[in-house]
Amino acid sequence: MPPPDIHCKQVETLYSDHHRWLRGWLCKKLGCSEQAADLVHDTFLRILNSGEVLTGLTKPRAYLTTTAKRLLIDRARHRRVEQSYLDELALMTATMEGAPSPEAILMALEALKQLSDALQSLPANASEAFLQHYLLDETQPAIAARLGVSVRMVQKYLAQALLCCHRALTD
Amino acid sequence: MLPPGAHRLNGSLPMPEKQPIPDDIAEQAADWIVRLTAGDATEREQAQSGFEVWKKQHPLHAEAAASLQQVIGRVNEVRATTHGNPEPAHAALKAALAEGNRSRRRFRKTVATLVVACALLLPAWQLLQIYPPAYLMADLRTTTGQWQTHDLPDGTRITLNSISAVNLHFDIERRILELIKGEILVDVAQDTDRPFLIETAEGSIQALGTRFVVDRHEQTTTLTMLESKVSVQTAEQRAEHSHESTLVQAGERIHITAQGVSAIETIDTRTISDAWQYRHLVVQNRPLTEVLDELNRHRRGHILYDRAQLQGIDMAVVLPLDDTDRALQLLVDSLPMIRIRTLTPYLVLVDLAPASE
Repeated sequence: MPPPDIHCKQVETLYSDHHRWLRGWLCKKLGCSEQAADLVHDTFLRILNSGEVLTGLTKPRAYLTTTAKRLLIDRARHRRVEQSYLDELALMTATMEGAPSPEAILMALEALKQLSDALQSLPANASEAFLQHYLLDETQPAIAARLGVSVRMVQKYLAQALLCCHRALTD
Repeated sequence: MLPPGAHRLNGSLPMPEKQPIPDDIAEQAADWIVRLTAGDATEREQAQSGFEVWKKQHPLHAEAAASLQQVIGRVNEVRATTHGNPEPAHAALKAALAEGNRSRRRFRKTVATLVVACALLLPAWQLLQIYPPAYLMADLRTTTGQWQTHDLPDGTRITLNSISAVNLHFDIERRILELIKGEILVDVAQDTDRPFLIETAEGSIQALGTRFVVDRHEQTTTLTMLESKVSVQTAEQRAEHSHESTLVQAGERIHITAQGVSAIETIDTRTISDAWQYRHLVVQNRPLTEVLDELNRHRRGHILYDRAQLQGIDMAVVLPLDDTDRALQLLVDSLPMIRIRTLTPYLVLVDLAPASE
């Protein structure tokens, strides 16, 4: 990781050289809207927070569009997380006394979005094992039987998922 | 120049450490933590004592252990939000991970919709010639906030309200419309040779040239007659091929449940016709919670409220259903004791306003 001030300088150059172009590109893709402007902002924010080495970037525009596309995919996933969570919550609150506070809901949604970022990058078995064990309290042997793998393998999946979620939650 | 707000850090855990935890130490910590909840009791006990020893070996070990255990802490916090019920979180993460399969499913659904659409485009007589005497079957459904009007091949016109689904079973002898869920307005075309039947799990409604609204929610079918009359049979009477039925006339409303047909209520047909035409929700002395439920059906996203807290508030109001934002605003205007907060475009919270300012 380059020293923070150098990284900032590089992002600054990238921004001043290409942000107009990126905006135009996104306008064509999404229709000119607030969404396009918003996405330009978030694309640069993501690059800034990533701390990736930008020296010798040969195709800066391809790099920008890839980052923007990933961002769009993440956003779509976050919307699904939000929608499904609130759907279930609405079902629950219909029968439950006392809905969770708005702050608690927003915190839960934030955590779920970060977890979804991590889990989607894992093999299906690893994310399934994580959900079954840590969210649904399923035992490790039961998960092994369900996935048709050894208990030792389930433990490997769980460790892998823990590490991946840890990175997503602390980044 | 940097984009505004570029230094904002969003939603990370507060991490006190200066240097990142080395990967190999994080991996060891993860292995220990996983074994703490092993299925085998002996393995669990060994892991517990081994983990304690390992943590004392180096400050970084203890730090890695605490940091990784925060992941599980976070999952538990999420579960605690819904009083320990993991379903909302589970559904959310499942939906997030279903991405890969979704496009394939959507494709299949599109193909199915196209097939149905083609079937509907062909005039009924043509289909009946192609498939004599087979029936024409079609699925029509609407999603949240959607209204759809369909002219059926026999000239009957149906309008589907938000989140409604019907199956059509038309053949030479009968026209059966199966209401699976939701609410429909039906203008039945006259056809003395082919009776028109609306069927739900709760009962059947038979009509000859008439206009009415049928709503099916939570195991209750509600029939609101706007013109003419129909005869109604419960599911039980239908199963027994009974000749008994209940006659319902214009201006009357009944509810059909597993317990039978309710007493007849009178309604204002004009208001209800207008409500359908202009997509209004017209309520007279109905609980606020019911009005919110109704708005929820028309809104992408959710209106959340505590049913117990808002109990006992009745209201009379006319609300636009195709603009739920405006409907909510009108609601606050007419009920000063409630408060509406928009948290995200998907999430609106309704509760009692704080007692005094």
